[in-house]
Parts: sequence; C-alpha cells; structure tokens
Amino acid sequence: MAEPSKGLLRAQEIYQDRSRRALELQKQGKKVVGYLCIYPVLEMMTALDIVPYRIFGDMREPITKADSYIPAVNCPFLRSCLDLGLKEKYSFLDGIVTTHICDVGSSLSGIWNYTVRTPFSFHIDTPHTLHETSLEQERGLLEDYQKALEDLTGQKMTKERLQEAVRVHNEQRALVRELYELKKQDPPLISGVETIRVIKAIQSIPVDEGNKLLREVIDEVKERNDGPQKKSARLLVWGSILDDTALPEMIEGLDANVVMDDTCVGSRAYFGDVELTNDPLDGLSHHYLVDIKCPRTFRTRDYTDVRKDYMTDLAVRFSYLRDYVRDWKADGVIMESVRYCDTHGYDVPGVRDYLDSVGIPSIYLEHDYTEGALAPLRTRVQGFLEIIE
Amino acid sequence: MTTEAKPRALNRLQSMYALRAEVDKMYEGGVEASEEGKPVAWVMLEGWSNAILNAMGVSTVFPENYSSLCAAQGVATPFLDRSEAEGYPTHLCGYARTCIGYSSRMVELDGEIPPEAPAGGMPKPVLLVASGEVCDARFKWFQSLGRFFDAPVWTIESPYPGLRERLMEGAHERNVNFLIKELKAFVAFLEKLLGKKMDWEALEYTGGGTNEINRWRWEINELRKAHPGPMNTRDFWSAVTAALFRGAADPDVITKGFERMYDEVKERVDKGIAGINRPERYRLSFEGLPPWHSLGFLEQLADRGWNFVIESAYRPPRPITIDLSKYSDPMERYVRRRYRRLEDSLREDYGPEEAEIILDEIRRDGTSPRMGLRHIKDYQVDGVILHVLLTCRSTSAGLNLLQHRLLDVLKVPSLVIEGDIIDVSAFNPAEALRNAEAFEETMDHYRKVRKELGMPW
Ligand code: SF4
Ligand code: SF4
Repeated sequence: MAEPSKGLLRAQEIYQDRSRRALELQKQGKKVVGYLCIYPVLEMMTALDIVPYRIFGDMREPITKADSYIPAVNCPFLRSCLDLGLKEKYSFLDGIVTTHICDVGSSLSGIWNYTVRTPFSFHIDTPHTLHETSLEQERGLLEDYQKALEDLTGQKMTKERLQEAVRVHNEQRALVRELYELKKQDPPLISGVETIRVIKAIQSIPVDEGNKLLREVIDEVKERNDGPQKKSARLLVWGSILDDTALPEMIEGLDANVVMDDTCVGSRAYFGDVELTNDPLDGLSHHYLVDIKCPRTFRTRDYTDVRKDYMTDLAVRFSYLRDYVRDWKADGVIMESVRYCDTHGYDVPGVRDYLDSVGIPSIYLEHDYTEGALAPLRTRVQGFLEIIE
Repeated sequence: MTTEAKPRALNRLQSMYALRAEVDKMYEGGVEASEEGKPVAWVMLEGWSNAILNAMGVSTVFPENYSSLCAAQGVATPFLDRSEAEGYPTHLCGYARTCIGYSSRMVELDGEIPPEAPAGGMPKPVLLVASGEVCDARFKWFQSLGRFFDAPVWTIESPYPGLRERLMEGAHERNVNFLIKELKAFVAFLEKLLGKKMDWEALEYTGGGTNEINRWRWEINELRKAHPGPMNTRDFWSAVTAALFRGAADPDVITKGFERMYDEVKERVDKGIAGINRPERYRLSFEGLPPWHSLGFLEQLADRGWNFVIESAYRPPRPITIDLSKYSDPMERYVRRRYRRLEDSLREDYGPEEAEIILDEIRRDGTSPRMGLRHIKDYQVDGVILHVLLTCRSTSAGLNLLQHRLLDVLKVPSLVIEGDIIDVSAFNPAEALRNAEAFEETMDHYRKVRKELGMPW
C-alpha cells in the first residue's frame, strides 16, 4: 500500500478534495457540521467530537442556481456558497452554524434553512460592539449554542471537554503562527498560494488532524530547498474572503511574494489565543468578540470616552497591520475585497489613511469572485509594484 | 373646443402635506439648535435612541432621511461623486455615500453647511449615534465619518437573533435585559458627553408618544384594507418620515397629524374613494425601499389602475397593551413596552391556530414560509413589486426568496425591479414600465389560479 501523503502534498490534496476526510469520519459515526466565516466558536464543536467543516464557495464554478434565491447585488462569495448548497455539494452536512458576520451572512442562514435544509442549524447573533453588555450577550448566546449542540449529539459538553478543546485549538493557533514565522525570511519559506492551501485544509478536517498536518508542513518547509524564489517586493494582503489560490497566484506570478495576510482564510483566526478561563465560555466569548480583528466588529479606543480623534481611532483599529508590515518586512499592502462586501468596503479609506500615516504604500483591488475578474487586476498590481520598488 | 385636463392619477391625501412639512422642521430645528450652541446628533434610525436623545434635549437629524431628500431633489449625484473620490467603493449604501460626500464637502467649507444643501442642511454633529440593527451600513458608515469629524460615535446594540434562537428558553428575557443595560450604558455616555442628567420623565413622554403615533398609523393601515384601497403607498412614504424621524421630538404634533390622516382615510373608505383617480384594476404591495428619485413612476403605474395598497418597509407594529405596573425602572418600562416576545406577536398577528403552525415550522426548520406574507393576504394583493437595490443588502437579500414564497404559499406573482434608493442611473424607468405592462397578464393569470383554489381573492 502506498504511504499516505504528508505535509504540503497532503494539504494540497485536501484543498482539492476537501470533503473526503469529513465523509470518511461521518461513515465512522461522527457528525460533520458546516460553518460560515470564522466566528462559530469551533472549540464547542470539537468538545462534542463534531467535525467542524468550513463552508467555502467556488470562484471557478459559475453561479447558476443561487440567483433565483438571492439577488446578484449581494456578496458573490456567499452566493457561491448557497449555489453549492443548492447543487447538493453540502448535502452530506449534519448541520450548519452561522453567525452575524455581515448582513448577507445573517440573511443567508434563513435562506439556507428554507432552500438547502441541512438537518440541524444554529445562528449565533454575534454582537457588533465591544460594550460590556455585548460581551455578556455573546456569552449568553454561547450558552444557547451549547444547548443546541448537546441536543444534536445527545452528549454533555462538560467543562473538562471544553477546556481540552480550547487547549487543542490554541495549539492549532500556535502552529499556524509558527508557520507564519517561516514567512518572515527572505525569500519566505512558504508562498501565499501554499499558505491558503494549508489553511483551507486545516479548516476541512478535525483540529487534531489539522495540528498533525501543520507539524508536518512546518517540518517540511523548514527543510525545503524548493521554496519560493526571492522577489523584489514582499507584500501583505488585507481584506475579505480569499478561499482560492487564484489571487496570490496572480500576485506571485509577478515580481512579488505574499509574505503576510490579514484575511479570514489566513492569519485572522489564528493570531491570538483563547484564554483558559475557569469557565471556558468566558474566555471563548471574549476571544470571539474582542480578540478577533475583523471589520464586522465596531472597534474603538474606549467606547465610554466622549472624545474622539481620527488618527488615534485608526491606530487602535489597524496598528496590528503596521506590526505585521514591520515584522514580516512587507514593502506594501494589497487591500482586496469581493464586490458588495460592505463591512470591508467601509474600512478601505480608513485602512489606507492609516497605512499612509505610517508610510506604507497600498492599493485597493475589488473583484467579483470569479477567476476571470482577476486578470485585469494584474496590470494594476504590476503598476503598484513599480511604485513601491 | 377645450378639453378638460385629466386629473393626476394619484389621489393624494391632504393630511399628508402637514406631516411631510414636519420633516423640514426637523432640519430647520437642527440648524437653529446648532446656531444656539445646542447639541445636534446625527442618528441612524433604529428603535431606541431617538426618544432617549430627545428626552436629553439633543436635537436629532437623520442622514439616511437627509440623503433621500437630496435624491428626491436631484442634488445627490455630486455627493456620490465626492464619496467615490474619497475612495469609498460605489456599491456601498447610497444614503451612506451621499452623507459621506456631504461630510467631505463640509470639511472643504471648514465645517459650514454646503450652500447647495436642501432644507437648510444638516449642521456639524457633536455626536454620531450608530446602530447594530438592520444593516452593516448603520455602524460602518458612521465609523467611517471619523475621516471628516471628530465627533464620538456610539453604536446602539440590539439583539437580532434567528427565529428559532428567539424561541429558546430564556432567550427573550436575556434580550430584554441586554437592551436595558445597553441603553443605560448609552444614557451614561450621554450624561458624560452633555454634562447633565437624564430626564427620565421626559423619556416617558418621548418614548410613550411614539407608541401613540404607531397606534394611529396601525389604525390607518387597517383602513387601507378597504376596496378600493383608500391610500396609496406614495402618501404612506411621504408621511412616514414624520413618524420615524420626528415622532420622538414632538409626539403630540405628529400624533395629531396622523389622527387627521386617519379621519381623511376613514372618510374615503366611507365614500368608496380610492388612493388613485383611476379605477383600481390591480392591488399591489411594494416590497423594499422606495426609489426616492423616481417616485413619479408610481404616477405612471397609477394611471394604469395600479394601486399600491400596502408596502413592506416601515409598517407599524400592532399596538398592544402591556401591563407595566410591576416595572418601576423607567428604562425597563421603555424596553418592555416595545420589545416583544416572538410567540406573542405571532399569536396576535396570525391568530392562535396559524401561529402554532408557524411556531412548529420555526422549531423544526428554523424558518416558516408563512411569515412576512400576512399583509399580502389581508390586503388581497394581486401582485408585488420587489425593489432590489443596487446598494442596500439588508432590504434586498431576502427578496428573491420572498418571490418564491409568495408564489408557493399564496399564488401571488411578483415583479423584480432593479434600482437604487439614491442612484438614479441604476433605474431604467422605460424598461420597468414595459415589464410592468407585461406583468398585468401574470397577475390576471394568478387571479384565476387563486379562484380555482378557492382562495378569497
Ligand atoms: S466577504 Fe464580506 S459580505 Fe461576504 S461573507 Fe465575508 S464579510 Fe460578508
Ligand atoms: S437599510 Fe439599506 S438603505 Fe438603509 S442604511 Fe442600511 S444599507 Fe442603507
């Protein structure tokens, strides 16, 4: 029998055939629950031995069925997810968990329930602010979520099981950060394209298997001599969903390496651990509401402060980007977003203002989540590279 | 030979004009307050903050309404262009982009109101009150105004759970307590900002008054079930802004305005007068936000005998009497008066039997195809216009699904019209009219289908 593949090759295989492992595990009696975005508190699924399986779209597949249920003026990524759901690509799921990521993400939960009809569904109405009340509310919502998952599995989510899940997910976060450390070198030891494959792979399999995969990838990448070539520019990519390698492929096909990212199929879910609190729901609610930095949350210096100052506000919201740029020695930032993503769209001038204020060049690219849409952007990226050189 | 001019197709309500004028007063009041050094807040429309702000003596103006005013007066485009020049993507909410352009223009004028601003303009705010309710624009837009003003932003959080999740044990009480605490935190913030204490008695007036206005609006809508429909949606839209934006500031005046409107509509019902000056050939519902820049389109449709007897946006909630005697905390009274248990609303709206079916469907499927269709049945609607907006996700995302449900459950056809609240270029009136003409046959067909199925209209 052939040896099972490992490391980067295995990540690529999972990337190309995401559901295979989930289906195997389902045959063994495990429940597989799909989730949208990075907010559905995966630790709580893991604690009950549920396989969390992230729902992605497919920018290479034309949307043919979803338009009848959701107007084209909405996030094409979510439309693509629904399209795949309607084409029964997610029919194996035992459940789906959505959160209030954005307007359409929220609406999609109702539309999915009506059309795709996955047997179990739960929607977490994640608050938008960091108010103390919001934190209490998030915690209360997680209690309801816990009940719903317990009903689904017929098992009790004990404190010990949940603490263990937090530990193993924190381990995953640490491993991803370790992997990203390897991107600090010049040239980076792993490319932007490979990074997306790895992240997408670990979001398709149970967390312990993901950790094993990450260890293999890290070991392999450290030793490799076939990594990315040195290029003139090192770039950071900020923005909305990037669940396909096409965009980094286009960028890395030019004279640039994507060395760091702030996107939700990238670093966003992994930079920062969940605090191991006595009651794990405290640490989890804090992490998912406060620690994850995504434009869907209204973040401000001190929400009780009656004074306001734009530059301080920007620094509070975006200074982590400056740190990324400094630590990963990026020469510029590509801001990207799918069309009709409002949460990211409103932040574009602010992110640019902030980057300008700290002397980091940036460019904004908007696309409609199709492969074809990326070709014309190539010229713009090329022009940007000429500026930053 | 002289030919008598045909009367306009829409039969406007006289009582509407006084209400519409109240909105202009809001802007005049804002400018006056600012000139007198009093605080002015820019506020996103949501269920809670307006009454609190007015009880605290803050003058409130509403950029989303102001943007629609700019669109209606044809002056929005330069503001949209400015927003684009500032780097905001063009798919963002048209109201937001108008306001962003307006704010950028104010900065250019050192904080002065742009001379081209209609209705006297909106003065510079001391506070921005955003909202986590309804759409992302409601807080992202105000957050992004930091580029133009150093006014603090407070985002009011309110629960927006899924249907099944609302039914979970303890969820309702948790949401009530969340709201009470959240609004108290907002009051504490206002007290700090304004250096004065909350006037809780005033909140009973500003908050309670809105309920009274809604009661009249509800009664008017009940009258609109008559055949022919006595009030066209055009008048509803013209008047509703007074209730939404001015109701908490001057509840008595606005209540009287709607009371007068009730009398006028009642008189029309008694006399069999319609909201259009043509025979009512089709009764319609308008789903989504209005095309503020092209309201003349309704005149053309009215000319074809289309009467929009009801609409989805801004429908008043059913009035209820709640025993508040056991609650002494004024904020708790304020919240409990309005935040309702889903089960209770469904039982009152649909009657006990249908409500149970709906509740079972929600518990089982997380959704019910019957929800949101009640008005179609009650108003015996022949067809529905679904206004899919280029720049508003929250009111557009569910419209295609609604199209399926209307047909599946009620055999009522609908027509999608694409456009925008602000951007006139997104709407093609000639094409929309052509599609509307063709839609008449579809409405005729489904009338027959409903008849064959023994449905009441
Ligand atoms: S890309 Fe934007 S609009 Fe789409 S799901 Fe993500 S946050 Fe929502
Ligand atoms: S509901 Fe739509 S139109 Fe209204 S503010 Fe939100 S995005 Fe804009």
